[in-house]
Amino acid sequence: MPEKKSLQEKLGTINYRNQAKSDIKAHISVDTDICNSTCPHQCTTYVCPADCYKIDENGKVYFQVEDCIECGTCLYACDQGAVSWEFPDPEEGRGVNWNYG
Amino acid sequence: MDDKFDCIIVGGGIAGLSAAMELAKNDMKFLLIERGEFAGAKNVSGGVLWGTDLARLVPEYWTEDPDEAGWERFVNHRRLTFMDDQSAFSFDFKSDHFDAQPYKGLVVLRSKFDRWLADKVQEAIDQSEVAMESFLATNILVDKVLKDENGKVNGIKAGEEEFFADSVIIAEGVNNLLTRQVGLQDEYVPADHVMTGVKEVIRMDRETIDERFQLDGLSGMSNEFLGYATDGVEGGGFLYTNRASLSVGLVLGLKDLREKVKKPYDILNKFKEHPAIADMIRGGEVVEYSAHVVSSGDMRVMPEEIYADGVMIAGEAANLLMNAGKAIQGMDYAMRSGILAAETVMEAKEAGDFSKQQMKTYRDKLEESYVLKDMRGFQGAVQTLHQPEMVDEIPDLVCDFGRKFFTVDDSPTPKARKMFSEAVSKNSSWWNLMRLSLKAAKNL
Ligand SMILES: Cc1cc2nc3c(=O)[nH]c(=O)nc-3n(C[C@H](O)[C@H](O)[C@H](O)COP(=O)(O)OP(=O)(O)OC[C@H]3O[C@@H](n4cnc5c(N)ncnc54)[C@H](O)[C@@H]3O)c2cc1C
Repeated sequence: MPEKKSLQEKLGTINYRNQAKSDIKAHISVDTDICNSTCPHQCTTYVCPADCYKIDENGKVYFQVEDCIECGTCLYACDQGAVSWEFPDPEEGRGVNWNYG
Repeated sequence: MDDKFDCIIVGGGIAGLSAAMELAKNDMKFLLIERGEFAGAKNVSGGVLWGTDLARLVPEYWTEDPDEAGWERFVNHRRLTFMDDQSAFSFDFKSDHFDAQPYKGLVVLRSKFDRWLADKVQEAIDQSEVAMESFLATNILVDKVLKDENGKVNGIKAGEEEFFADSVIIAEGVNNLLTRQVGLQDEYVPADHVMTGVKEVIRMDRETIDERFQLDGLSGMSNEFLGYATDGVEGGGFLYTNRASLSVGLVLGLKDLREKVKKPYDILNKFKEHPAIADMIRGGEVVEYSAHVVSSGDMRVMPEEIYADGVMIAGEAANLLMNAGKAIQGMDYAMRSGILAAETVMEAKEAGDFSKQQMKTYRDKLEESYVLKDMRGFQGAVQTLHQPEMVDEIPDLVCDFGRKFFTVDDSPTPKARKMFSEAVSKNSSWWNLMRLSLKAAKNL
């Protein structure tokens, strides 16, 4: 068995673009007001394979783009109209650069 | 130089590169735009490239030095495994008939394969009559598909720049934002239309892989899994041998995942701990975790149409994909549809007509090819596979029977029929089995 890796360690195997850049332009915007008011399932907080949708100490959903691997899951999973999805800008955005794919 | 291209291709994945290769070989002027830093940088698959279309694009690719090649191993050993929590019952088929070239299945890693294929396309461009007028451009995101005053697609916009062409092939993959923008698919595509794929590449010595899987350096194994693999969620698992790594992963129905409140990587971890998988990946090191959406392959989710005035949709952007349990076919469908879209561009140029009527030839060609013939022919099988019974009842039944059948202990051995009967009544019912087998018989 390969040593067991946490999701954080797994995400650590991924090569990202603009890794060192601090002011990246987020390619996904989430209207978390919807997540935190009318959404019955808040499903992005568990279906996202990179855990970009998190829950803070007050139980509120928030979104962090840094680990996003552009897989598309939230684009379909969110049926509440809270997720606006674009591909990252090659220069200003983040996004993945797969080593294996 | 006329600044209008014969064709602009959006996306340097398999569909886009295959279209480009055909166009380059036929001296067409085209521009392919890929948003990744290089072709393949953004792409994930399992993945086995099934079929033989690659031999058409890159003749005799197998004569190339294997160390330079874009593929990992050719498949000569196939296995379909039913799993319960402790057991694995496999249908296993190995044949040297698979050793014949052109190979009928190649295990690939997309970051390497797509880049290799793009190099081949560049070589073809360099040898074409319009070598200085066709381009592969990377690191550019196409923001918009442009239309003329009559609504015919005539180019694209990327950032501040616009490029014009007689035709556009949209080969942007499953997350088909531009296909939606041109109005061929709804703006919102619901979760039951797709699956989420999660995968790990696990590094392992080539010799260890050869010995562990009884392979000889370039031959490889493909193994699909049904049942416990997906922890009750609709979908399946896979394990493929690369040269010096294994690709291990799952595809999970997204609607089902949402309803069952499960995390994809938790299910992947559990899958890797199953004794059948743990034994295969032992000693390996995870060198990349990845994820990507994949179409369910259900024809009901295809875009309304896959062509319009001046434009065609190729590959998974058009939801061309087959997932009937024993394999996923998305890459070969992407390849074939890219080739057929390119043929259509050439015929349209010849006819001097890029209208919708002319573009319809693309659809007709797809209907005549194995792509839409199979998708239509196996729709029932695809839907049967997505039945809830396929994730627990059936795999449990198969494993339960296997456990009884292969166990030798000190009690008298019942007849196999009796064992099967017991397995059925414990895990399912004759009625259910009858219903499913009738369906299967009809659809397979
Ligand atoms: C986990 C998993 C396992 C799979 N296993 C298999 C398998 O074993 N066998 C198989 O045949 N298939 C498999 N598939 C499916 C297969 O990967 C896809 O069907 C295939 O990649 C589709 O090819 P494509 O060329 O249509 O799209 P893609 O390969 O997705 O290529 C699309 C390209 O377009 C680019 N692009 C997108 N939008 C833009 C834009 N606006 N501007 C510029 N560029 C853009 C992207 O960067 C990308 O390079 C699997 C998929 C997954 C997720």
